[in-house]
Amino acid sequence: MTLLFWVVSVFGFVPVQDTVSLEQVEVYAPPLDRFAQGQKVVNLDSKILEAYSARSLGDLLQEQSPIFVRQYGAGMLASPSFRGTSAGHTAIFWNGLPINSPSLGQSDLSILPVEAIDQAQLHFGSSGALFGNEAIGGSLHLNSKPGFGKGIEGKISQTFGSFGLFNTAVSGGFSSSKFSSKTRIYRQFVQNNFMYQNIALPGTPEVRQDHAETEQIGFVQDLAWNLSAKSQLKAAFWWNKADREIQPVMGSNTNDQQSDESFRAVLDYFRFGKSSVWNLKTGWVQDELIFNERLNQTRQFFAASDWDFAKGENWQFKAGVRTTFVQGDLDTYSATDQRFEFYQSARWTASKDLAISLNHRQFAYLDNFVPFLPSVGGDWRFWEADQQELLLKASLGKGFKVPTLNDRFWSPGGNPDLLPEESVSGEIGLNWLKTGVFSWDQSLTYYRMKVDNWIIWLPQGSVWSPENIREVQNQGIEYQGKADWKTGRMNWELGLSYTFSEALDLTSEPANPRQLPYTPKHQANGNLTAEYEGFAVNLGSFFVGQRSVGTGNARILDSYQIWNAGLKFLDLKWGKTRFPLSFQVLNILDRDYQVLYLRAMPGRSYQFNLTIHL
Amino acid sequence: MNYKNHLGGLALIFLLFACDESGNERPLGAYDTGVLILNEGAFGANDGEVYHLDPATGTMKENVFEAENNRPFAGLLEDIVLEEDRLYLVANTGKVEIVNPGDFKSFGAVIGELDQPRSLATARGKLFISDYGPYDASYNTPNSYVAVVSDLDGGIVKKKIEVSSKPEDLYSVGKYVFVAGSEEGKIEIIDAETETIAKTIEVSGKPVQFFEARGDLWVYSYDAEMIYFQSFHLDNLTKQNSQELPLANATSRIALDEEDRIYIITSSGWPDYSDGITIYSLFDSTFIPDWKTGSGFYGIGYDLERQEIYVSNSKGFQGNGEVIIYNKSGAEVKKMEVGRGPSGFVFR
Repeated sequence: MTLLFWVVSVFGFVPVQDTVSLEQVEVYAPPLDRFAQGQKVVNLDSKILEAYSARSLGDLLQEQSPIFVRQYGAGMLASPSFRGTSAGHTAIFWNGLPINSPSLGQSDLSILPVEAIDQAQLHFGSSGALFGNEAIGGSLHLNSKPGFGKGIEGKISQTFGSFGLFNTAVSGGFSSSKFSSKTRIYRQFVQNNFMYQNIALPGTPEVRQDHAETEQIGFVQDLAWNLSAKSQLKAAFWWNKADREIQPVMGSNTNDQQSDESFRAVLDYFRFGKSSVWNLKTGWVQDELIFNERLNQTRQFFAASDWDFAKGENWQFKAGVRTTFVQGDLDTYSATDQRFEFYQSARWTASKDLAISLNHRQFAYLDNFVPFLPSVGGDWRFWEADQQELLLKASLGKGFKVPTLNDRFWSPGGNPDLLPEESVSGEIGLNWLKTGVFSWDQSLTYYRMKVDNWIIWLPQGSVWSPENIREVQNQGIEYQGKADWKTGRMNWELGLSYTFSEALDLTSEPANPRQLPYTPKHQANGNLTAEYEGFAVNLGSFFVGQRSVGTGNARILDSYQIWNAGLKFLDLKWGKTRFPLSFQVLNILDRDYQVLYLRAMPGRSYQFNLTIHL
Repeated sequence: MNYKNHLGGLALIFLLFACDESGNERPLGAYDTGVLILNEGAFGANDGEVYHLDPATGTMKENVFEAENNRPFAGLLEDIVLEEDRLYLVANTGKVEIVNPGDFKSFGAVIGELDQPRSLATARGKLFISDYGPYDASYNTPNSYVAVVSDLDGGIVKKKIEVSSKPEDLYSVGKYVFVAGSEEGKIEIIDAETETIAKTIEVSGKPVQFFEARGDLWVYSYDAEMIYFQSFHLDNLTKQNSQELPLANATSRIALDEEDRIYIITSSGWPDYSDGITIYSLFDSTFIPDWKTGSGFYGIGYDLERQEIYVSNSKGFQGNGEVIIYNKSGAEVKKMEVGRGPSGFVFR
């Protein structure tokens, strides 16, 4: 039963019996939603990832998910905001390793190229129990997904585009039933010499951006071995280097340069028992950030182990431990940190229509202890008819964030007495699934969250120092719908999403709380694709509502709506070689907009992609 | 904000009166009276702006630059200098905007070629702009300069005169421009005609602000424990009188009242973080430590006409700041919301 459940979770509804060796065909990855009953999870499938492979993860999330991405210019820092929380309130994992910088407490989505991953999943809400540190607003899970028994595969992909865009990606792999290897190399270059209206200059002339060139190169290696019918070893290595000219704010003449280099490696050992899986995991993440010749380096070592097992027909358990050693050699200080975590999960499948999970984590770092981080949730299929079902999801959980190394140790100003940021969030959601010729998957979620001890850097005389000062009350509604249908030989696909997000700052003016800066109340996106015999046209649009640049009565930035469109020839073949072609127009209406105040964004641009599958 | 702006303002008023007499009258613009509030803006957001307050009616006009020019100021507003019937808005993000003091309409700028301009003075029909220069890899500013622009209405930088690190305030007297070299404790005196440094005078502490009191030019300096005042002979460019006084945690922000008493903001910094205002007189025994205490004091100004003290609070730069007006006895007269990072005032 247990294994069957995994198989179902991993492969979809494939009938597999008893203890069939999964590893024969698939590399094992513990599914994200195994103990996440009642919580919202969004999968970005391989088709979407492929469509965005020449673009950034930031673009993907802004255009395809309910997340708001704060972009500091074209190709510049892009940080995710889940449900009105900050960039540091998003845990980001790569193959199960937390990869946020321990000094900054966040990641830059612009330097996590979609090209380097095979799978992305978004998890919403506070989930310290399931994911640990920084899962306050939500978490983002990026994975490699190597396979077995596919023989030799290869791919060359080239994208040309406006503003000097020139992206190249080459990947090659080999897999037998025992061994799998996939290698990827990519280079992404863009001059970003787009024209924009410089509203900071007298006469607000159209000028050319001349300091926003970015280049990224990377290498990803995935390996997997079936050591035996009952054990599997999986390894992944990712090196990424980004060199960026930092786009100046309009009205200033800065010439900043930033170089980011990351090494990430993870090794997993899985041992499959009759109704259990034991996982041993080690990992290493090293980040080097050079800003105008100032070097900031952090290293993290992880060792973790967990055991996932079934007890009887209806109970599933998981227990695990993770230790992290952090070494930071920053520009103005050096510091170490050690973290110990112990976590347990239980799921009770009361019937085929009702599952409830209970999760819990204890976390300690240096001399501090975060004693109790529980979460509870349930999925209840309360209505089922021919090809349709309604699912009710509800959950409640806590989240936390350990103050970053910079928060605690930056010299001058670091505050070693900071407490962890804390959150409690709850959500209730309705899922309506319909299969058949006209199928859809629609969900409506209401969430409520409170974040306390939120850390803000404030000027203390001439020095800025962080304090646990902010208290925020969030609530919102997320609608997401996906539908597909056929008209004749035409396949249609529609995706729609709308988010209302209220994030009230209870700190500055508790009697009259206002929306947090750079947090749009309204956000929406939609995508329509029509496919006809290997030829596809798609039209997409996203809307971001007004947002203020500061707390209280601050300046309000205009809302914007951007339209993109694309053409794809999917089935072009020469012998056995498939070579899909695609052409995209981004910001078709040439809309002049700023995501963040005075950060110019590019107008209309074109991208042309040719991929050759060998 | 620069105390000398009051002087500049006064000088201008005198000048206007003088003009009145010669019949060369200019109608008074909306911003020729009242108080200009300098809101620095937040780092990275570059949302500096000017607010205008009519103290008689209490009417506040927000974002004056943007309102009058249909574009944002787009910079961190470091200083406002009123000279030669022009209002110079100095952005330390790399530009100087020049507007008509009466209606705030832009009529010039110095854009490009500046790095981190701090202040400005005019002499011999030229602009002199103090600039930290670019940061090096260690966040030092070894290439500080005073930029020279040949036209009072802005334009291109003609020359960069190398000065000691982190020049702040400037003050022009005749053909000389005094430069407060804050990091190395130097007063460098530029000859505006030859555009070279004519003389360098060493002073105690970090010199940051020039002011005129009872006919003499003074510079105010400070360090962690002391404050210093130094005056100069303007004929032979030498030191005249000096005074020093122990005062911990003084900042660069001062204001002068009509009795030449000096109001100095102090700030203890982390971890206690308490701010205060101390009053000191160069000419009598006045010394009132912690005349006011509080937190978040960021700028100070003195309205000579109404004899009121304006103290601004940055509110941590998270959003809009606040200005509190006190009368001379220290009672709060009024409190109002202003723009982000309010740091100084120009009383017209």
